[in-house]
Amino acid sequence: MSDNTGRTIFLDGEEVPFDGGETIFQVAERHHKDIPTLCYDDRLEAFGGCRLCVVEVEGARTPVASCTTMAEAGMRIRTKSGSLEMHRRVLLEMVVSENREVDVDELSGYASQEMKTLVDRYSARTGRFAGDKSGVSRPDDPNPFILRDYENCISCYRCVRVCAEQEGDYAISIMNRGFETQITTEFGGLLKDSSCTFCGQCIQTCPTGALGDLKALRHVEVEEPIEKTRSVCTYCGVGCALDIMTKGEQVVGIQPAMDGPANEGALCVKGQFAFDFVHHPDRLKTPFIRDDHGQLVPATWDEALDKAAAGLLEAVNEHGRHSLYAIASGRAPNEAGFTMQKFVRAGLGTSYIDNCSRA
Amino acid sequence: MPPTNDELIAEAMTEEAPLLPLLHRIHERDGYLSEEALRSVSKGLRIPIADLFGTITFYHHFAREPGGFEAPRVCTGPICCLKGARDLVAELDGATGMPCSGRCDEPIPVIRGSQTFVGLSANQLTVGDTPVPPAKAGDYEECVFANIRHSDRKTIRGYRQTGGYEGLEKAVTSMSPEQLTEMIDQSGLAGRGGAGFPTGRKWKAVADATGGPKTVVCNADEGEPGCFKDRALMDHDPHAVLEGMALACYATGSPRAFLYLRYEYPETEYLLANAISEAEAAGFLGDDVFGTGTKIKIHLRRGAGAYICGEETSLLNSLEGGHPFPRNRPPYPVTHGYEGTPTAVNNVETLASVPPIVLHGPDWYRGLGLGDHAGTKVISLSGDVARPGNYEVPLGLPLSTLIEEWAGGVPDGHTVQAVTMAGLSGGFLAGHDLDVTLDEPSIRAKGSFLGAGGIMVFDDTRDMIEISHMAMEFFAEESCGKCFPCRIGTQRLTERLVGNAGPDNLEQWLDEVSDLNKTMKETSACGLGQAAPLITESLLKYFPQAVQTHVIGD
Repeated sequence: MSDNTGRTIFLDGEEVPFDGGETIFQVAERHHKDIPTLCYDDRLEAFGGCRLCVVEVEGARTPVASCTTMAEAGMRIRTKSGSLEMHRRVLLEMVVSENREVDVDELSGYASQEMKTLVDRYSARTGRFAGDKSGVSRPDDPNPFILRDYENCISCYRCVRVCAEQEGDYAISIMNRGFETQITTEFGGLLKDSSCTFCGQCIQTCPTGALGDLKALRHVEVEEPIEKTRSVCTYCGVGCALDIMTKGEQVVGIQPAMDGPANEGALCVKGQFAFDFVHHPDRLKTPFIRDDHGQLVPATWDEALDKAAAGLLEAVNEHGRHSLYAIASGRAPNEAGFTMQKFVRAGLGTSYIDNCSRA
Repeated sequence: MPPTNDELIAEAMTEEAPLLPLLHRIHERDGYLSEEALRSVSKGLRIPIADLFGTITFYHHFAREPGGFEAPRVCTGPICCLKGARDLVAELDGATGMPCSGRCDEPIPVIRGSQTFVGLSANQLTVGDTPVPPAKAGDYEECVFANIRHSDRKTIRGYRQTGGYEGLEKAVTSMSPEQLTEMIDQSGLAGRGGAGFPTGRKWKAVADATGGPKTVVCNADEGEPGCFKDRALMDHDPHAVLEGMALACYATGSPRAFLYLRYEYPETEYLLANAISEAEAAGFLGDDVFGTGTKIKIHLRRGAGAYICGEETSLLNSLEGGHPFPRNRPPYPVTHGYEGTPTAVNNVETLASVPPIVLHGPDWYRGLGLGDHAGTKVISLSGDVARPGNYEVPLGLPLSTLIEEWAGGVPDGHTVQAVTMAGLSGGFLAGHDLDVTLDEPSIRAKGSFLGAGGIMVFDDTRDMIEISHMAMEFFAEESCGKCFPCRIGTQRLTERLVGNAGPDNLEQWLDEVSDLNKTMKETSACGLGQAAPLITESLLKYFPQAVQTHVIGD
């Protein structure tokens, strides 16, 4: 609920209103301040780890993290200053220094370019603060979906938080302390032995590509540009919005739509990873009809529909209308489900209709 | 037959803040935390197993291999390292180091299971009591140490004979909670754990906050290297701490309190548990305090080895069984503390100061300080002085009086090269800046702070680069890993002090270290990351020549 009772803050000198419960970061984002951040995902509880979003608040001794600080009436805030920009550059130089590399392929995941973009915006590839690297990768995890390349991890814990807060799986957690921190599963095991459901949300929120989409990354070498086409997942009736990534005619991967009204960036293992059927050689591209010898032979749609209609009529004529029973596929969207029940009730004259999601 | 997992879990489910005590019982029963036991705990307390596993690994002392509980842990804090702690680790079979374990006034401590030994070599380890504070040196009146040297003071009988529980009785029978809070506010008592927040104001905020039940937490997670005052107070005057907690409960309207004790004080746990039982049996604590119907239940909880758990919001997360990262503030614990209830978190010394204030009045306490400074402060003094130990000083006492006159000064023929402030968190003072008085305004004017009152003294034979390295390594090991500047910064500064990474050009080296200092100080999320760079900052300030030699050689 909006609680906007004429309260304002001063954002870089400009007086702007804010709603009760809004953080400085949220107000600033609404005003296109483009405050840098690496640990922020607007679907998750603000964490305050990366400290890139620090801003100066008049009267405060030190800069405050804008993502965790509530806007308060009369606050005078600077989102940019020489000192803030210096801190942000130093912080980015620090994360560059702990990782194996900055540049990762876009196919890694939805947010995978966030760190690289900021590093370049702040010219932070200086090689300063060289020293030990922080993460230990898990090439021994044989799962076919999630790359666990922690040598590129910056310990923002977006993966751990999305797993708990969005997916409710609690499959991964934070191990050890400080520079020794690692992202882990229970007892340091493999993902398949954990409560991971391979929904892939950790991949999509990772800002460095430390967690990567292994299925999409199979197509790194294909030279064509990535094109994204907005679509709806066809695996069930929820209607998760997603972007189908293609290179030329080849589907190379799926990314959830962060603005999908039904899913807000979430997908399940099927919507996220199970798209290989699209180009599979066994995939049916035309209807088949069994001939008199019981062999399946290719047919046109008209032939197939005529054959089906004839079969249905025969059953009704011989055994009555209630001899038929239809199950709509859970993969069908609402509209198709509606058409199906209409067809069964009005066309066939029976109410024996159900949906596999209910079965 | 030792209790089964299910029996222990069933018992824990009836308790407040059950995770840590349950884990300790299993740890002691099995000698480590097995996967099987942790899976049972996860199921019983409904904590996701990945979270529970991650949280166990956060603590230094939970062993995950059989026999780990009994394996010797040797203090490798800065002072013990100067006494040869690294050699002792090598000498003892299966030994590992542990961060400063709060016995800088004794030979090197070694913890085995639930017992502490002290000694300088493997074949002369002995068991001994915590040293009693040295005899009062100056002419100044003490507050928390006034009766601590009475041999019987740690028993409830001895405590009563020296005025014990009279303050609590007076408060609950003749004062309102508001009057008590007002009295503490007038006394000028401020947080003695380091932050210095006025105690009366904190209590009032908790009392005024909505929601409940309200909670008092005694922060006894004395993890700052060079600080060992709370241990002396708890070991020799446990009832004073409990009485202070009870008074805090009464003032804030809290029916429950937790004493969160650091892992490294195993004997103290038994002592406090006995003291709580004694006080409950006497009717001074429990369901009917002094027959007034007031309910005050004190729960004893023990940490598992994590410096950050001395930070109050990490402590609360640890108590609640969560991952002990500090919380974002605001909201502050006074409104959203333990399980979201209004909570007063007070240090041991702060709470121990309360009973004498109630007995003698706020003006008495205020008058104990020198000049405008109110009250006293216990200083844990260690390092190169003749008589290390805990000294209760009037605030405003010159540092030189404490070191030279009270503690016997540095060894003959040597001079003070540097001292640390606030344990390690205040960095170093050296040169002309040693001319300070022991109070926050004086020390803050030099860019440091008094904090919890640990002061390590280093004479002119010490290698300040090595001392700085040990200090920064401590912060790196204890950094929780939540915020970037601290997690990476403490590591990078440590590497530069060891000399195994970083530029070999002096200007670039200084440039990197100064930038790390600045960004850590200004953007770190909590006191650890903000304070750690004071070590390097003060090293650059006082010892530029040593830094130059370290970077580019002679």
